[in-house]
Parts: sequence; C-alpha cells; structure tokens
Amino acid sequence: MAPPAQSQRSQSPSQPSGKSEVSDLKLQLRQLAGSRAPGVDDSKRELFKKVISYMTIGIDVSSLFGEMVMCSATSDIVLKKMCYLYVGNYAKVNPDLALLTINFLQRDCHDQDPMIRGLALRSLCSLRVANLVEYLVGPLGSGLKDSNSYVRMVAVIGVLKLYHISASTCVDADFPSTLKHLMLNDSDTQVVANCLSALQEIWSAEASTSEEASREREALISKLVIYYLLNRIKEFSEWAQCLVLELVTKYVPSESSEIFDIMNLLEDRLQHANGAVVLATVKVFLQLTLSMTDVHQQVYERIKAPLLTLVSSGSPEQSYAVLSHLHLLVMRAPYVFSSDYKHFYCQYNEPSYVKRLKLEMLTAVANESNTYEIVTELCEYAANVDIPIARESIRAVGKIALQQYDVNAIVDRLLQFLEMEKDYVTAEALVLVKDLLRKYPQWSHDCIAVVGNISSKNVQEPKAKAALIWMLGEYSQDMQDAPYILESLVENWDEEHSAEVRLHLLTAVMKCFFKRPPETQSALGAALAAGVADFHQDVHDRALFYYRILRYNVSVAERVVNPPKQAVSVFADTQSSEIKDRIFDEFNSLSVLYQKPSYMFTDKEHRGPLEFADEIGNLSIGEATDNVVSSQRVEENDKDLLLTTAEKEETRAGHSQQASFGIDDLLGLGMPAVPNVPSPPQLKLNTKAALDPSTFQQKWRQLPIALSQELLLSPQAVAALTAPQALLRHMQSHSIHCIASGGQSPNFKFFFFAQKYEESSNYLVECIINTSSGKAQVKIKAEDQSTSQAFSTLFESALSKFGTP
Amino acid sequence: MPVAASAIYFLNLRGDVLINRLYRDDVGGNMVDAFRMHIMQTKELGTCPVRQIGGCSFFYMRISNVYIVIVVSSNANVACAFKFVVEAVALFKSYFGGAFDEDAIRNNFVLIYELLDEIMDFGYPQNLSPEILKLYITQEGVRSPFSSKSSDKPVPNATLQVTGAVGWRREGLVYKKNEVFLDIVESVNLLMSSKGSVLRCDVTGKILMKCFLSGMPDLKLGLNDKIGLEKESQLKSRPAKSGKTIELDDVTFHQCVNLTRFNSEKTVSFVPPDGEFELMKYRITEGVNLPFRVLPTIKELGRTRMEVNVKVKSVFGAKMFALGVVIKIPVPKQTAKTSFQVTSGRAKYQASIDCLVWKIRKFPGQTEPTLSAEVELISTMAEKKSWTRPPIQMEFQVPMFTASGLRVRFLKVWEKSGYNTVEWVRYITKAGSYEIRC
Repeated sequence: MAPPAQSQRSQSPSQPSGKSEVSDLKLQLRQLAGSRAPGVDDSKRELFKKVISYMTIGIDVSSLFGEMVMCSATSDIVLKKMCYLYVGNYAKVNPDLALLTINFLQRDCHDQDPMIRGLALRSLCSLRVANLVEYLVGPLGSGLKDSNSYVRMVAVIGVLKLYHISASTCVDADFPSTLKHLMLNDSDTQVVANCLSALQEIWSAEASTSEEASREREALISKLVIYYLLNRIKEFSEWAQCLVLELVTKYVPSESSEIFDIMNLLEDRLQHANGAVVLATVKVFLQLTLSMTDVHQQVYERIKAPLLTLVSSGSPEQSYAVLSHLHLLVMRAPYVFSSDYKHFYCQYNEPSYVKRLKLEMLTAVANESNTYEIVTELCEYAANVDIPIARESIRAVGKIALQQYDVNAIVDRLLQFLEMEKDYVTAEALVLVKDLLRKYPQWSHDCIAVVGNISSKNVQEPKAKAALIWMLGEYSQDMQDAPYILESLVENWDEEHSAEVRLHLLTAVMKCFFKRPPETQSALGAALAAGVADFHQDVHDRALFYYRILRYNVSVAERVVNPPKQAVSVFADTQSSEIKDRIFDEFNSLSVLYQKPSYMFTDKEHRGPLEFADEIGNLSIGEATDNVVSSQRVEENDKDLLLTTAEKEETRAGHSQQASFGIDDLLGLGMPAVPNVPSPPQLKLNTKAALDPSTFQQKWRQLPIALSQELLLSPQAVAALTAPQALLRHMQSHSIHCIASGGQSPNFKFFFFAQKYEESSNYLVECIINTSSGKAQVKIKAEDQSTSQAFSTLFESALSKFGTP
Repeated sequence: MPVAASAIYFLNLRGDVLINRLYRDDVGGNMVDAFRMHIMQTKELGTCPVRQIGGCSFFYMRISNVYIVIVVSSNANVACAFKFVVEAVALFKSYFGGAFDEDAIRNNFVLIYELLDEIMDFGYPQNLSPEILKLYITQEGVRSPFSSKSSDKPVPNATLQVTGAVGWRREGLVYKKNEVFLDIVESVNLLMSSKGSVLRCDVTGKILMKCFLSGMPDLKLGLNDKIGLEKESQLKSRPAKSGKTIELDDVTFHQCVNLTRFNSEKTVSFVPPDGEFELMKYRITEGVNLPFRVLPTIKELGRTRMEVNVKVKSVFGAKMFALGVVIKIPVPKQTAKTSFQVTSGRAKYQASIDCLVWKIRKFPGQTEPTLSAEVELISTMAEKKSWTRPPIQMEFQVPMFTASGLRVRFLKVWEKSGYNTVEWVRYITKAGSYEIRC
C-alpha cells in the first residue's frame, strides 16, 4: 500500500491548492460509480483514500460530495467507513447534499450485520445537520432496542449527539427515560457507562430549565443507582470505572458504615494499573471521609504509596498529571509526606514543569527533622543549568527559612549564595535576605556584613536592587558606606527605570538621613528634588509627601517614616482557603493542574485577562492571584478613562472618604478635616447623582452655555494633578461627578455633572485644564438656568480646594 | 465527566496535520492552528504538557516524531486523557507491528481513522483493548466478523466480546505448543552525592508476560515478596522458609488480575490476555542492591586543565555480566582536547553533549575498571563562568540480576484440558536515571 499522502508531501501543506487533483478525482469517481466490474472495490478504495488524505491536510474536497455518495453503494465495510467519515466531515457545510446520504444510511441501519448497523447509526448521528433530525428518531429508537450490544452502545451516544443538535427533539422522543431504563437494566457494561455519560450531560443541561431534570440528575447519585453501579464496578472497562467513580464522589452516604463499605469495596482499585482509575478512587476516598478527621488522615497514609508509584512510572506527561494532584495533597497535609521528601528530589533530566512542582513540595514538607537534607539538596539546584529552576530553588530555601525556627544553617547557605557571583543567584538571594531580616532582625549583624560587600553595580534586577536599597536604608547605621552608596544611586536617578527601585531609594535615603544626617543631607536634597520632578505619580507623590512632612516637623517625620519596626511573624498566604477548597473539590480535573477553580478558566468573564497570560499551567500560586488582581486593576483604570456610569466612582469615593476619616481619627494629628459637605446653603447637590453617558451627550448638545470662565489653579493643585483620577476623586467628594476624562500632562479634559438635591435638575461642566499654565477653562450648562451662577461658585470653590490637604 | 475530548490531532514535528478527528462541535476547526501558533512555534513547546488557549485546553504528548494533541473545552480529567493517548498509541503499535511514527501513520491513516472511531465516541473513551478490536477491525479490513458468509471459521460469541465482560481474552484460542514467557524488568533510579552517599534510590519494576496458551487458562504466580510469603506460611501454619524476602512498597496490576484474591490470599492469579501484556508494576525503596558504584575525582588544575578519574565498580556476582554500559562524564563547554586511558572499553569526547562517553560492551561482575583523562580547556578572556558540574550519568543492562532481589517462586498454569506448558522466566535490571554528582 503506497503512502497516499506521498504526492502531497512535496507540496507545502499551508497552501491547499490541488484544484486539478480534485477535479481529476471527481472524474475517476464518476467512472467507478456505476461499475460492477470485479476489483472495482479496490480501485474505489484507493480513490477514497486519496480523498480522505486531502481532507486531512486541509484541501477542500466537499465538491466531491455527490460522487462520494454515489460510490457508497457497496458491501465493502472499509469503503463504507471511509465514506461515512467523509460524509460526517462535510455534511454540516452541505446540508442539502447531506439529505442524499440519509437514504443509504437508513438502509444500512437495518442491515443484518450488527457492525454495519452500528456504524451507520453512528454516522447518521454525526451528520450534525439540524434539518435532518426527523430522520434520526426512528433509527435511534430501534437502535436502543437492538439485540446487539454494539448497536445499543452506539445508539446511546447517538442520543446524546441528537440532544446537542436539537434538545427538544431528543426530550420529546422521551429518549432520556429510555436511557435511564437501559442504564439500570442492560447487561452490557459499556452500554451502561455510555448511558451514564449521556444522562449526566443531558440532565445537567436541562436542569437549569426543568425541575424534573434536576430531580433526575439528583436521582443519579441516589443510593439505588450508586450501589447498582458500584456492585458491577469490576465489569466496567477502565474508562467507565473512572466515570462511575467520579459519580460516587458526589454521593452523600447516610451513615458512616456506608462510607466504610464503599471504601472496602473500592480499596483494590488503588492497585489498578490505570492511573486515572487510581486518581478517581483517591478522590472518592478523600471526599467520603472529609467529615471524619482521623479517617481522612488514614486515607492520606493509604493513598500515598499508589500515588508515589504513579509519579515514578509512565511518561513525563502522565506523571505530571499525577504529580499535580500529589502537590495539592502535599500542600493540604505536608506533615503526612514529610518522611517521603526524597521522592521529591529532582532528577537532572526532568522537564522543568515537573521540577517546579517538586520544588514547591520540598518546601512544603520541610520540618525540623529533614530541613538539613532538603536545604542541602536545594542548594545543589542553585547551580543548575536551567536558570528559572535555579532561581526557584533559591526561593525555596528562603521560604523554608521563613517557616522554620532554626534558621542558623540556612542563613549561612543564603550568604554563600551571595558570594557565588552569579547575577541571578545574587539577585534572588538579596530578596530572600531582605525578607529574612524582616522576620528575624536578630540576624542582621551576620547578613549586613556580607550584604555590605556587594557592589550595587552588579545588581541589575529591580526586585533585587530594591531589596538591597531597603537594607541600606534600614541598616544604614551598621553599614559604613551606606550614605555614599545611596548618594551614588541618587546621582544615577535618571538611569533607573524601575519606579519600585526609585520609591525604595527615596525611603532609604530618608531613613539614612535620620540616622546619619550630616552625611546624607545632600543626597536627601537631591533625591527629593529628583523625586518631585519624577513623571511616575507614586514616586512624585511620595517625594512631595516627604518634603512636606520634613518641612512640617523633622521629628514627626522620623516617627512616621522610620519608627521602630516589629518583626513580621507570618507572611500572608496568597491564595484564599476558599479557593483552595474549591480546587480540592474539583480533584482529578484540570483545576488541579491550573491551580485555580474551574469557573476561573471555563466561564467567559473570568477567562478574559488570562487569555493573555503567558504562563498558564505553570503559574505559581502567588503569580496567579497577582495576575487576577492586576488585571482587575487595569480594568478599573480603563473604566475610569472611558465613559463610566457614576455609580462605580461613587462607591469608591464613598469608601475612600470613610477611610480618610478613619485615619484622621486614628492618628489624631489635628489636620483640618476634609470638608465633605461644602455646599453653600443656597444650593445643595445630590451626593448620589446618576446620569448615563448617552443622556449626558444628548443634554450637552441641547443646552446652551450658561457660563464660561477661566479659573486659575493653585500651584498645589497643579502639582497634585499628575493623573486625572486625583481630581475625579476630589470633585466627587464635593458631589460633582465625572462622566468622562482623558488627556495627558499637561492637558487634561474633564466632563462633570451634578444634580440638584431632591430635584432632577442637572448641571453639566466641561473643564479643560492646562497644568503648565495653571489655567482651567470651564463651561457650564444648566437645566435650571436660575441657579447656574450658584453652581458656578460651588464648582469654583471645589476646584480651588484641590491639592490642599 | 472523565474526558469529553472535543478533538484529537496528530501532527508531525513541522506542524503538518497527519490525522484530525473532530468529535464535538464545541471547539472551532482552527484549533490546530491555535496549537501551532501558541505552542509549537513558541518557546512554550515542552514547558508544560497542558496549556490553555482561549476557552480550550490542549493536552499534548510527543511520541517519536509525532505530536498527539487532545483538545477539550471543559474541566476535563487530565490523567484520564493522557492515559488514553498512551493506550491508543499502544493499540496503534500493536496494529502496525511495533513502530509508531510519522511514516507509520501516513501508511495506515485509514486504519487509524477507523480505530479512532471505535475507541472514542463523541469524546468518551470506548473500548481500547487490542484483543477485542482486532476481532472486527483487521489490517485488511475486508471482513466483518459478523457476516457469516465471508468468514471461514465462525468466531464464537464475538458480539459479546466486542463490549463484553472478559474484555481481555477471547475464547477458543488454540496453540500447538503452549508457552509462557515472563520477564521481570527493573529500572534502578539513583542519585548519589559526590561523597558517595545515597541521596535517593528506588527501583521501579514490571513483570511483562507473553502468553501463547490454548483455551481459558488460570495462572498463579508466586513471588518472594514479604506479604505473600507471610500469608502463605500463615495459611499453611508453618514458618516461612529462610532466605531473602522482599518488601514491595506498592503494586499495581493489569486488569486481568483478580484483585480480591490478591487482597485476601496475597497470590497473583489471573486469566491472561493472549500475547504480550504487562502483568504488574511495583516499586521498592528499601534494600536495593545497586549494581554499580561510581567513584569520580575531578580536579580543576588552573583555568585550562582538568584531570578526571573515574572508577566504576560492579557489585553483582562474578559470574554475571552487564551489557551496554555507557558512562557519561560531563566536561565544560570550552573543552579543547582530551586524552584518555581506560582499563576496559573505549572512551571518546562527544562535543555535542559536552561529555566524555565511556562505553564498555561487556562488563563482568566484581571488577573495577578505571578511566583517567586529561582535559584541556580553551582559556576564555570573558568573565569567568564557573562550571555547574552536571552529574555523571550511567546506562546499563544486567541480565539475570534484580536490584530488588525479587524472584519468581512458581508460575502455575491450569486449564481444564490439562495440557503441559513450558514456562520461561528472565530477569533484567536496567538503569533508570542513574546519576552520580561530582
């Protein structure tokens, strides 16, 4: 048999040409169609093969539909199968032609050979053409009653296919209840399993609209069905066993003796060669015993060995799937696995997705008795060729240090990393040493001696540089050169691209100043000047804040910026326990591999931002949540910039107002309280005004300009207006809401609106601010012209307060 | 639901589609383009076998020069999907006679489409047992077992077996000579520190069988594992025989093994499938006999010279020997010249993998050949990059040796016709990942 695709291989598959070949085939097929010569089946076969191979590589051969159907009158089963495959592929795009095939498929459904009956029925249901469903009901009905189990098996799935084409036809023909009957009575286990799959899908989909369906879905996990299936479990194929076991996990036993019965019955499944069966069994055990703490514990012990075996056998992909589940269990109950830590040692040639999981597990299982071995092993990986893994392993050492009491040996290791003179090792180690010092300040002496020797020029990564600068600021009294290193860093302010580093630099210089004022004063001045001129809003704001507070009172500044710190006792966990529990409930599914609950990757609205995340699948827990948060933030910012309904703004403003009051009370610094109801008595504005953008536009077009004026902004206001958001929030506290804003420094444009208190009379404002000239062009339109002057005064006073504390 | 696979693709390394089979309409037809664009053509390839693109998840596996990709749109069962791929490949192999690669697929693509239709329907796995499928999907593909007119000898009860309960064996098999082959194949995984202490060591073993037996035979296998022996002595109420007993950490069995009987009597009894299959898998971590010890000393003499001395000691019986021993000793990238002295075998420098490769075809027990090499390095003016020293890796096969010490005590075949069988038992130990740090 010559490779059929040979002729195609020379061609580039990306350009499906082959026009002439297709018309050639058409001709040949036509010649063979009516022929009854001996050996005609063989030549047909060759032709069909060619057609299928074209189809596979993406050449459109749908134009041959008629000829293919004509040739399908044959008793050769292979020819039939190829023809069915072809028809199934193209029927959807050629619904009219598909009608041609109905005839021979229906005839084949009554063939004496059950094989042909089954195949024809399967193909008939795979046509996926909505206007042909009427032809499906009859053959499906007789297929479900067929004496041969192969046909029944195919018919059951056929019902499910019908349901996906036309749910109502399927339900009207009462197929679901037929399936239920078959599920509980058929002698063939594959028929039973297919019934179960089909019913689960159909009833889950129907449950949202029909109460009966949701009752039926519940009935699937009733004692009757579960016991019926469990008692036959050994007869099922391995795949069907997975299906049944998954169903059992949803079953809620009425008493604890039942739980033990089920577990005894299923215990031998843990020895099954199919890893999927083992995992499904593990899930049953875990779910059943959730409420029984001691038994749950024993279950962990019991399932440990089979899982470890699965990890060490099979292809890397399979072991990755199992390892992810083991990872989940290790994270839930690290102490159970603490003596098995050697299983999590990485092999040199293992793929990095496996290594990464193993590193996390090693970190989790570390305790007093095995820390030394684990840390020694992790240090070996720090010299790994695979740099990401080397970094992960250094981080792992750090995490272990943060969760242990005896960190003596670990600190030494970390300090050795610093001396390894590899950029990435130094960078990671610096970050770790910083965290370590935050938790164990008593180690500062040892660490500082080493950190002091690191030249800041060799540290390029922002995170590491920030960590180094933090330490310089925090421990400037112990480090001889601290002020001078900081000074040289300040000199290179413009070359520092990371805002995070610049922020840290500002703070570090401040701290250093309080400890060693004469040496740092000039650096501080330079840093504040550079900071205030910085284009990044946070850096700018912080510099300004430091500047003001220093001017206000230096000792207050010291108390605010550099008070004595308490050691951090526990670093916050990044994933909520609710999410973890949800993932646990979805054991043995993708959720575990993605480390997030299924709604996050199957629901459309959650999926959005993640589509662009590059590292899906190997995101660590921390990164995952970071991603979600940051994408939300981006979204909010976007909304601020685009037209937005006032509600969102309002809730936030209300919140921040409350918060600021809280802080005022808390600190009791005697600052003037923000005047939150500044309205003069003659005009009161509605604090909860709402207006949608289109109405705004309409009104803006309709109303005449009531007032137009130019206002001068105070220098503070100009300084505060680094981004439009700042003004929005400010105006909101004066019950003047923004409906749209935009622009970049120095030109900003805002549209505001306000509503009269207890009246639906609106004021619309266009405000163009140029920060370089400090001027604001204001145009006001009002529905109630008589009060427009009063509103204008109000607006002016509100604007003038912007930027003042 | 375990897997409701929406589509399955077979691609070659270039990304050309060899086979595509769409099972469900819930994914678009351009999924294969998405896979090519977002996985094959990026650095992502090989970083993780499960990836999400848009609303779909892709599971992929590379087998020889073919990628097999499963696309799902729901929260599928990953372990099940990968196992399905592995089983499907095993099935194809049994049809093609061994090889599974691009050429085999191109030559048999009609057959593969046929099989894909049978083994999965609407995304749900169906019957994957080669034994049963071969009854009605033949390489020739001409005959259906059901049409009596075309088949010469009727296949008894075939319809039941297509989906039936004893999925792994059909009735009515006849062999002139009844034979059973049993291989115990173990692979030793070792991680040893440079000081010679064992950091991690385990053995994963499997028992492979090849049965050519008539009728419906019942087989019983006895091993020298601890639990089985204890149970036996308990049953026969006499003390266990002296000699080594093995403690298996964990065992898994082929579906033909009666697990209930294993749990109650601790004997492995089964009705085997016809032909080749994997009877059981096990894992051992305690009391592993390492076949080789490796003692490396690597000295860096200045910046341009290195001295490598490696001694390998075989610690199995003197009458046995290992085959195909390969020791890969890593050297720095900037290696310029090497010179060797070996007391056995041959050694050379392979620049492509940055290793000194020392091969010994036949390695007798209780010997200790050595390699001493001098390596000259190109002195680089660039900043010194310290060498990370990957571990020494070793490959070998030792016939008639089991690292676990597992032995077959008996293999009984019982069939109602009472024929005689010939049993062949072999042992072999291979290197899994045998790594020695230096």
